[in-house]
Amino acid sequence: MSESVILVKNREVVVPGQPLAKGRFKLGKDVYRDDSGVIRAKKLGLADIKEDTVSVVPLSGVYIPKEGDIVIGIVSRISGSTIIVDIRSPYQGVIPIPRGRATERVDMRKYNLKLGDVILAKVKAFDGSSSLLLTIDMEGLGKLEGGYILEVEPAKVPRVIGKRQSMLTILKEKTKSDIIVGNNGRIWVRSPSLKELLALEKALRKIEAESHVSGLSDRVSSFLTQELSD
Amino acid sequence: MPLYVEKKPEVLITEDGVRTDGRKPHEMRPVRMTVGILDKADGSAFIEWGGNKILAAVFGPREVHPKHLVLPDKALVRTRYNMAPFSTPERKRPGPDRRSVELSKVIREALKPAIFVENYPGSVIDIFIEVLRSDAGTRVAGVNAASLALANAGIAMRGLVAACAVGRVGNFVVCDPNHDEDMWGDADMPMAMLMEAEEITLLQTDGPMTDEQFREALKLGRNAIRFLYEMQKEALKRPYRVVERSVRGVV
Repeated sequence: MSESVILVKNREVVVPGQPLAKGRFKLGKDVYRDDSGVIRAKKLGLADIKEDTVSVVPLSGVYIPKEGDIVIGIVSRISGSTIIVDIRSPYQGVIPIPRGRATERVDMRKYNLKLGDVILAKVKAFDGSSSLLLTIDMEGLGKLEGGYILEVEPAKVPRVIGKRQSMLTILKEKTKSDIIVGNNGRIWVRSPSLKELLALEKALRKIEAESHVSGLSDRVSSFLTQELSD
Repeated sequence: MPLYVEKKPEVLITEDGVRTDGRKPHEMRPVRMTVGILDKADGSAFIEWGGNKILAAVFGPREVHPKHLVLPDKALVRTRYNMAPFSTPERKRPGPDRRSVELSKVIREALKPAIFVENYPGSVIDIFIEVLRSDAGTRVAGVNAASLALANAGIAMRGLVAACAVGRVGNFVVCDPNHDEDMWGDADMPMAMLMEAEEITLLQTDGPMTDEQFREALKLGRNAIRFLYEMQKEALKRPYRVVERSVRGVV
């Protein structure tokens, strides 16, 4: 049919509706093809063109759950056989409390939760609208004790983790802290002292603000070294 | 005895097309758009257009309350257009009235085609438009700001919605009518378009126009909207460029 043309630079900031490419490309995330065949951005973000796939990496937006995601939730309601969990999303998480024969298989102590408890959970099933099933029935999941909860914009979570966990490794090593990053933008931290916690908080704000400028890891690394030097 | 008396200017437009504020028929008042100025909202924008100062805030997609309003297959879009009591020359009685309910509806319908509502089933997107100072053309200014706030909130959209009013004063078709022209002009036609397809999502007309004048007004409005769309893109990208510059300056 028509020729394949790319209309933007890679990693350029694009707005919704902005044309990105024409012709034979695969549609990646957060793009759509209009009636005339032009691929346009769905969200405000960075254009991402890899080989034959055009997508947009969003710069903001709420957390939309995906099956298999690890999230940090706060118990918001317990009613009879279910635990309702707030996961900072339009959809509330539900954890069914096992009963009958099922209780023999699982560690029932894990389900002894109170209102306001912070838990690490996995998205077991999500139908895209109303039913969001979470599970804590796995090694490492369940109530998080001690530590602090920090928050970042859900869209910036991939930046906080980095390629092959590079950014997360920097954050952990520099602040000598235990860090768990939930896909929903909540971050659980246990630091040796307040100093490291505050430095980490500042580093997270820096990641949020500068995520669209390349060389982020190096800047965060030297920032943390500087913050924690004296 | 009213505290404030409106005075009609003797001439709304001179024979060679000079308006009460000195503009030519096709000229727009100065516009400034700023994005992301509210901390607690998911997306926000501020627009200053002539004497208008309008704030737009977007929350969501978030959980629907009350629950019976939930749409199982798409997001609910709610819009509230509200004028502050101090936004007009005389105090406006606070709260919704006939006019603001209508504007909330037309603004919602102007913006909704732009949103991929099917991407957020069972949730709600709340749009708030607060007029802090009004000076003719608040609904189109509100649409521009709300569209920016939606994009700023990271909501999936087909494109931005840009809006502008056009009108008729005597034999002249004018762009972006000011307060005097709004009050005493012959016709007023706010319009909004979903960019870049240029699909009209809002078109209201108040006052008579000939077929020819209508076509001219439509064309003038389209050009104005294209210009505003460029400003919107620039407003959305500006904060990222500012950060990039400051980072590159330091490193």
